[in-house]
Formats: sequence, C-alpha cells, structure tokens
Amino acid sequence: MKIDRLPDASDPAGQHGQGPPTIRLRVQTPRGLWSMDEPKEATKRPEYPISTKIGQVIQDARDVFKFIETDSKYTLLQGKEILDPQRTLVSFKIEDGALLVLTVQGGNA
Amino acid sequence: MSIPVEVSLQAIQSELAATDQYAAAAGLLLDTSTLAQSNLRFHVRFENRDSEKFYVEFECADYPLYPPTVEFVSQDRSQRGTAYLYPKGFHPMPCICMRYNRKAYQERGGPHSDWRLLDWRLPTGNGIGIDTLTLIVSDLHSKILQSSGRMA
Repeated sequence: MKIDRLPDASDPAGQHGQGPPTIRLRVQTPRGLWSMDEPKEATKRPEYPISTKIGQVIQDARDVFKFIETDSKYTLLQGKEILDPQRTLVSFKIEDGALLVLTVQGGNA
Repeated sequence: MSIPVEVSLQAIQSELAATDQYAAAAGLLLDTSTLAQSNLRFHVRFENRDSEKFYVEFECADYPLYPPTVEFVSQDRSQRGTAYLYPKGFHPMPCICMRYNRKAYQERGGPHSDWRLLDWRLPTGNGIGIDTLTLIVSDLHSKILQSSGRMA
C-alpha cells in the first residue's frame, strides 16, 4: 500500500515521515466524481490520514456536492462492501487511490 | 401534455453520461443499446448483497416533464413487474414506490393518489429530491444492495 504522510509544522514537506500516514481517495457520487482535481470548485480534497473515520469522508463528500438533506441515507461503498461510518479507513484496508462510491437513498413513501 | 420524443431522447442521453460514470464505479451494468426515439428505454443490472442479479427497465416517454416508469424485469425482458423479479423490501404491490416512478401514481394504477406527476422531483418525506436519472440509479443501488432475497 502506497502511503503518504501529512506535513507537520516541523516537517512541512512531510519528507521525514513525522506526520500520520495519509491516502488519497476518489469518491464517485451521483453528482459527480470527487478527487484531487475534480470538481474544480471543490473547497476540500479527499486526502485523509488513514485513521479517519468513514463518516468523515461521507460528510465531506456531501459537503462538496451539497447533499444537505439530513433525512436521506448516505452510504459509502468499496466495491459491494458497505463501509461502517464508525470505522476507520485503515480498518477496511482502503489503499491510496481507491475508488469509493457514495450512494444516496431518498425517503420511502 | 407530452414531450417530443427527440427532446426526451436528448435529455436522457445528456444525463446518461453521468449515469454511466456512476454505474461503472459502482459495478452496475448500464445497457443503452435499445435507446432510440422509437424506444425511450434503457436498462440497469443491479446485485443484492447475496450477488443475486436484478434487472430494471427505465421507460422514459415524456421525460423529463414526467418521471420514467421504473420496473423490475426479467433478464430477457419478457416478464415484468412480478413479485419474483423484485428484491425484498419494496412495496408489496409490487412497485418501486417513489415519486420518480410513474407506476407509483394512482393515475397509472399505483398507490399514490396524493402525488402529482408534475411534482415528481419533490422529495419523499424530508429526504433528498431524487430528480436525475443518476440519483434514481443510486437510490435503487442502495436499496437493492442492502436487500437479501426476492419478494416471492
């Protein structure tokens, strides 16, 4: 698994491996792909310490694509695996460059 | 009121580029091979959590003024709308009981007399308005993937 590290104050380039390991993700949503360069106007990018909880990735993807409705169900998938929001990226062995899918479920009538 | 078929086809094709991207990432099979002015239909293959395959037809006459008719069909598309073709968890009519499905409206034989076709983009309850073909596919993807077994 390729792992980058977040820069910290003493090592802004992250070259000495002092920060926590990070990975860069791609997240496909029904409103488009979220990546390190898409969409252009995104105010945040999917680069995370591997200890980040899945729920944070879901929340950030929702923010980027303005999925503001709280009563909808948002689920992050890796392949067919449903990722528990309370668990961390590393606990699912999600690798750098992984493509995840955010599903959005409307209400039931 | 109706929409010229060429207008509907253009609207569908313009949305399907995004749907195709989503489907590819999600491992769904999007089949647009039959889509034409004379046949405003496309199909998507989904899998439930047990890897059972389910096939959904989107019949898009008068789209986007009106929602598509969204129905579970057999793999060869010779059967449609039977309980066996539905995953567990959907309306027992059987029906995909969402505003984005024309079949759900009472005027089309569905259970909802309280919905108007023109309002199909409105949210159901306080959830998100499912107002694009890609969001419809994502809603179904989520529900089917969390389902196990068939309705009958």
